[in-house]
Amino acid sequence: MFKFLKEKIGNWAKKISKEGGKSEKVKELELPQKFEVGKQKFEPDLEKLKDKTFLERIKTKVQRITISEKAFEVYNEELKMLLLENNVALEVAEKVIEELKEEIIGKKLLKKEVESEIKDALKKIIENILIEPFDIMEKIKEKIADQPKEPYVILFMGINGTGKTTTIAKITDFLKKKGFSCVLAASDTFRAAGIEQLKKHGEKIGVKVISQQYGTDPAAVGFDAISYAKKNFINCVLIDTAGRMHTSKNLLKEIEKISKVCKPDLKLFVGESITGNDSIEQAKSFDWAVGIDGIVLTKADVDERGGTALSVGYITKKPILFLGIGQEYNNIEVFDKKKFLKELGL
Amino acid sequence: MLEKLGEVLRKATDKIANAIFLDKNLVNSIIKDLQRALIEADVSIVLVKELSDKIKKSALDERLKGVEKKEHIIKLLHDELTAILGEHKQLELKKGKKEQNRIMLLGLYGAGKTTTTAKLGNYFSKRGNKVALVGLDTHRHAAAEQLQQLAEKHKLPYFIDTKEKNPVKIWKKYGKELKEYNVVLIDTAGRHSFDKSLVNEIKSLDKTIKPTETILVMPADIGQAAKKQSQEFKEILDILGVIITRMDSTAKGGGALTACAETKAPVYFITTGEKINDLEEFNPKSFLSRLLGMGDIETLIEKIKSVTDEGKQKKIQEKIKDGNISLEDVIEQVKSMGSMGGFDKIKSMIPGFSNVEKKIPENLIENQEEKIKKWEHIMKSMTKEERENPELLEKQTSRISRVAQGAGVHNSDVRSLLKQYKLLNDMIQSGSDLDMSQGMSQKQLQKLAKKFGKKMRF
Repeated sequence: MFKFLKEKIGNWAKKISKEGGKSEKVKELELPQKFEVGKQKFEPDLEKLKDKTFLERIKTKVQRITISEKAFEVYNEELKMLLLENNVALEVAEKVIEELKEEIIGKKLLKKEVESEIKDALKKIIENILIEPFDIMEKIKEKIADQPKEPYVILFMGINGTGKTTTIAKITDFLKKKGFSCVLAASDTFRAAGIEQLKKHGEKIGVKVISQQYGTDPAAVGFDAISYAKKNFINCVLIDTAGRMHTSKNLLKEIEKISKVCKPDLKLFVGESITGNDSIEQAKSFDWAVGIDGIVLTKADVDERGGTALSVGYITKKPILFLGIGQEYNNIEVFDKKKFLKELGL
Repeated sequence: MLEKLGEVLRKATDKIANAIFLDKNLVNSIIKDLQRALIEADVSIVLVKELSDKIKKSALDERLKGVEKKEHIIKLLHDELTAILGEHKQLELKKGKKEQNRIMLLGLYGAGKTTTTAKLGNYFSKRGNKVALVGLDTHRHAAAEQLQQLAEKHKLPYFIDTKEKNPVKIWKKYGKELKEYNVVLIDTAGRHSFDKSLVNEIKSLDKTIKPTETILVMPADIGQAAKKQSQEFKEILDILGVIITRMDSTAKGGGALTACAETKAPVYFITTGEKINDLEEFNPKSFLSRLLGMGDIETLIEKIKSVTDEGKQKKIQEKIKDGNISLEDVIEQVKSMGSMGGFDKIKSMIPGFSNVEKKIPENLIENQEEKIKKWEHIMKSMTKEERENPELLEKQTSRISRVAQGAGVHNSDVRSLLKQYKLLNDMIQSGSDLDMSQGMSQKQLQKLAKKFGKKMRF
């Protein structure tokens, strides 16, 4: 992820530190002179040179530069394009640049450090944008300790074809391996073969799938799965829902209802990491309709650009919990903010 | 679909058209708006820059007389946008008696290949072809079942094998049976271009099947990755065309559409919803004119054709010529509007309607669909005589109460149906001198829409 951006941000920082910064002109060193009577000419005043404060004065004068607003204007377009090309949504790219501007303009920087200063500033901004992800397992343990008879309910939602069902299978497998028992609710009662798909995953992983007929109320299926979990002392319930366009009001109402009936402990938005500007609209609508708690980004292996993570993270102010990185069950990665920043080269 | 971009484009052209003098500031502000809108629609950054530079240049440098200049710029904007949307190319079937069209779909995971296969199947079978669907996605769980369920629902022949894991074998197994069909649609597994085993699979499938058309399926919300995707798939196989799915989301599609134009892969279709009829032929010109709020007659007519069968169409046309339609026809028309994807989808295709639309509160359009359901019940409570001659109800108002009771609705609901009937009848009578068989011209329809828009009350 972020292969391009990593390289380019470095270049950009270098460029602006080279050309963009208006460094205070280095005057030719005028050494203190002293008229040597014996030689009949001016010679450097060696005594004065030994004066420490003077030395420091020239040193600082030579190396400090400030980046003026004008110079930044010239280069911010370039940075904006960079971010946009890497799938960061326009709104978010502009925000990042604004913050960066506040951070570095007018500051006196040591020339050598401009590059790293800019990088640090960017890092700080991105660190602020991305919320620190929490540990799902801790949350489940808390719930078990708190209410031993209640299962931990996770609701998955997103638009069509982002990989909700596959992600559920992966997370179930992940939780199962960590020793939590799971049951799946096939609440995608709309899409053809949506139920069969989840059932097959269930068989393969070895967990029970609660399902009903196509066209039944998805909330009811979720409710059944929760009751089943209560009866059989199962730790987690994962609810798969039909993909829905965030523009369809009726379908958003439906997910609202599922959320009301099942009272999930965790509402996860499943998005694609290849989605462009639309990602913010998607995340916004779902967040607005039911209030999401976390984000899973799928298909992170398809493209090196990772801008979507920034966009969605910024818009929802919710943590990204997992990245889907392939077709196998173990192709899921717990999102690590530090690693993400590192991949960005920051 | 792409509402935001459309709005900005409309505003930009309005601004240019209304400006007394095109000065630098105005041009710059228009271009800035334009850039934002295009970028937000995921159009590739390079293209956006090129486009805005061109417009800027001709707006500021080229010495043309004032009025002409404005028109020139609007035309330039129009042309450039058409250019980045690519050429119009239709998916043409080979019509020879012994020719078989094998259309293979491929694309990324979750792009909508299976759903699109079913939609295409429906599309071609409505146009009188013998269609078969073949499910060769052996990787994703229940992919074959999905195709099966879709095919059964829409009565299309299908060939799947849920046990066999090798798609080439499945194809060979059905080879003989498939000879009977002239359009064979092949659904394949989702893949991306660096998974070698999957790339090899599709290559060997390509060799065995020898498809007459290989189509890439791409979702509309794909961002800047669109170009790379289409390029890489093109390197693997000779992709003749693209279908863009999920065009009904908030906006966008810019990335996918322009990427295809850049890689010279024409867009055959776009899909705009979950219903089986939500498949549209893509025509850059009419797409753009819809975007600019000028309506899209061609698509509308095409859509009407795809929904109603020819017999019914002729009947209605004849009735329209006579200038008299019955209540049943009104319902039939309104119903076919429903199967075209609902009122919501059609409104953007009617010229001049985008202006009227703003005056209509959103939920009223939804209510309209509920109303239609009520109307059907009302119809069922009427006698045949009443249905053919709705004026009877107005003459003897006690009939209205009877019908309302029978249908379980209010009297006002019955009255609203009668009103709608009258409105449509009026419109048809005033328009019966038009030759409908040739389709209406843009101007004629605009006139009608204006008239209709004023009268229409929801």
